[in-house]
Amino acid sequence: MKDTNNFPLFSTYEFNPKLYDELFNENNKIREIYKTLYDLFSSYSVEEYNRLNTQAKASFFNLGITFQVYGEKEVKEQIFPFDLFPRIINNKEWTTIEKGVLQRSKALNLFLWDLYHDQKIIKQGIVPLDLINSSVNFLPQMKGLDPPEGIYNHISGTDLIKHSDGNYYVLEDNIRCPSGVSYVVGNRNAVKHTLFGVFNQYNAHTVVDYGSKLLETMESVKPKGVDAPVCVIITPGVYNSAYYEHSFLAKQMGVVLVEGRDLFVENNFVYMRTIYGPEKVDVIYRRVDDLFIDPLVFRKDSMLGVPGLFSAYQKGNVTLINAPGTGVADDKAVYTYMPQIIKYYLDEEPILNNVHTYHCSRKDELSYVLENVDKLVIKPVDESGGYGISIGNRLTKEEIETVKKTIIAEPRKYIAQPIMSLSTHPTYIEGNESFESRHVDLRTFTLLGKDIDFVLKGGLTRVALKKGNLIVNSSQGGGSKDTWVLKK
Amino acid sequence: MLARVANNLFWMGRYIERTEHLARFLSVNYFTSLDAPDELSRSRQFVLRSTMYMSANEIIDSHKVLDEEEILFNVGLNIDKPYSILNAFTNAHENARSSRDLISTELFECVNRINHTIKGYPADKFVKSGLHDFTSLVIQSASEIRSKIKSTLLHDEVYAIIMLGIYIERALQVSRIINSKLSDAAAAKVIHGDETDGSYQWATLLKCVSAYDMMRRYYKKTPVRASTLEFLILNSKCPRSIKNCLSQINKYITIISKDNFAAKDSAAFLIGKMKADFDYKLMEDIDENLEVFTGELIDQLILIAEKLENNYFNISDVAVSKKQTQKQVLK
Repeated sequence: MKDTNNFPLFSTYEFNPKLYDELFNENNKIREIYKTLYDLFSSYSVEEYNRLNTQAKASFFNLGITFQVYGEKEVKEQIFPFDLFPRIINNKEWTTIEKGVLQRSKALNLFLWDLYHDQKIIKQGIVPLDLINSSVNFLPQMKGLDPPEGIYNHISGTDLIKHSDGNYYVLEDNIRCPSGVSYVVGNRNAVKHTLFGVFNQYNAHTVVDYGSKLLETMESVKPKGVDAPVCVIITPGVYNSAYYEHSFLAKQMGVVLVEGRDLFVENNFVYMRTIYGPEKVDVIYRRVDDLFIDPLVFRKDSMLGVPGLFSAYQKGNVTLINAPGTGVADDKAVYTYMPQIIKYYLDEEPILNNVHTYHCSRKDELSYVLENVDKLVIKPVDESGGYGISIGNRLTKEEIETVKKTIIAEPRKYIAQPIMSLSTHPTYIEGNESFESRHVDLRTFTLLGKDIDFVLKGGLTRVALKKGNLIVNSSQGGGSKDTWVLKK
Repeated sequence: MLARVANNLFWMGRYIERTEHLARFLSVNYFTSLDAPDELSRSRQFVLRSTMYMSANEIIDSHKVLDEEEILFNVGLNIDKPYSILNAFTNAHENARSSRDLISTELFECVNRINHTIKGYPADKFVKSGLHDFTSLVIQSASEIRSKIKSTLLHDEVYAIIMLGIYIERALQVSRIINSKLSDAAAAKVIHGDETDGSYQWATLLKCVSAYDMMRRYYKKTPVRASTLEFLILNSKCPRSIKNCLSQINKYITIISKDNFAAKDSAAFLIGKMKADFDYKLMEDIDENLEVFTGELIDQLILIAEKLENNYFNISDVAVSKKQTQKQVLK
């Protein structure tokens, strides 16, 4: 037992010295940046902390920052698991992260333009044609189309981890409908209310400016000939698990939150049905997936979209955020080419590291993967939410054989990466009434508009609540933390 | 404002107001009957029938013996009964949730918190010992929500539509309460003749509309049929009188109606006409045929609500919400 285990809230805190623990350094000393916070937490009794924790959770519940679980008869509301111990990122590290995620978002944007136009990067043999041809997220309807101001991925969410070497690595780029930003603000409010004394002693950047920056971004990409654009957010509806976020963003920006059934298209212009009749809509932040946005062009059975929306978009009468077809570039197989993509379009070296990736579509790499499944993480290229991931060292012999068979059946569908050791962070485990180290990652939020490059100074630190678990996604039982980016 | 959302807000207003009236009627009707002067008014079966008539608009067969706990559960917390308080508030909450981008955080938090409390209220406690506690909670909650509506929303069309919902529902509920008490008074008279202390029924009616104290202050006399009904229907100072509700409805329809001269048959026209009619109405005009009058009043109010929906929230071409899910999880 270490000295630190004497404090009631740290009675069972252990960390693996082979990993990067964000609270303790390798000599079991508190890292300087966390000292004030640690002093505060170690002064609490379990009862005191439980009371604070309960209050914080009640505030989420009362504010309706929840998702719904549909049972047979009744609907249950649940809050997303939330941890009060904030994650701190110093200014120097943040500067690198910020530059790095912007670089990636810009490179991806140029990549998308190229893919839907001349495909020079393919013609020059830097990215294989097969990568695009076999991607279900490549939308042929987008070929030759020029989105306003040339921007495809107005909103990007980049997932980063801190490896045992102390460096940040990018795990994924999300440029379809990245979610989670409302929790950044929700978590910050809860932490400020609960830990106001200590929050004061850290000079952290605010996160409340996201809404106004997002609105600026939306307005900056208005269709040609529009003076004061009418911006809306389209949501699949109250039953969607991210409905809270949709309504939160609409309120933050003061724009209308619509559903597909509130909109209609006439002569290739989009209108919403208001109490005084139709009103033209110019910019739509859509939280409806590509295949659902327009039943005339994509999935015919979609009830979430608007018939004719895509043709209005083609005519340049409405802007969609993000542009349709961005999914082709956040494919996990494309990810592996990111260093080359950055180099090709920006003539720069990547600022953030990529995790080395093996393509199962390549014969030699496939045989390496098949021989080393136990040392690798196997991921399907086109899934999100942490689904379908196999972590090699957690599998039984039989499971490894099953995974091998699945890969052989569809090698294009899988990539493999070395098992990265996500850093660990103190997280309160209610069952043990103590903080324990748990794996965390970080999702940053980047906005690209006409003359706008913005990275939210903060982000969503996601934490895997199960001991040793590396998958932090909320759909897999992960929680989240407030993230403090320090000004100095 | 989106027509669909306007419709939701209108109904949010209506359901909030409805929960309060359902709760107050249930509580006042039940508790005043415990020491009522005549036997009929004290009878549990009579009280339960009166409760069902007001809440569910149901006249129950007189041979049927009603179970008190079952009736209380049904009108209070039974989610499967469309007339229950729980159901009305759930609808208020759902409507608030689907328009939460338009209403203030404070208002939504208030509705949401109360929703958790009402949903989590133990049914067992409610029917055995919690009738007063639960109904008071609901009544206070409605006031709290109305105060958030008044003090945290922009006083624009959004506000006007919620207030329209509130006042139309208030006028309807007050009419129905009057109707139900008129019928109770008539029943008591049949059995006990003129011996019954009529003022008991009228005092109960006033309390059901939270107007007893102010009525006493205004008339300085024990309430009788004529003064009670005059106060509740035609008094312009009584905050819950029909006349006052109509004048509020007229005020809020002018905020959303952009025409200076309302078209014939529009909601604004009908409301204006009805209000003008009430401005010059006297008790003697309606006293003789009160049951008919309140019946027609209810029909007219329902017609106005329908016109409002047609004029402003016409969502007939808006598809019904379906739970289609795209494979979009919180990534």
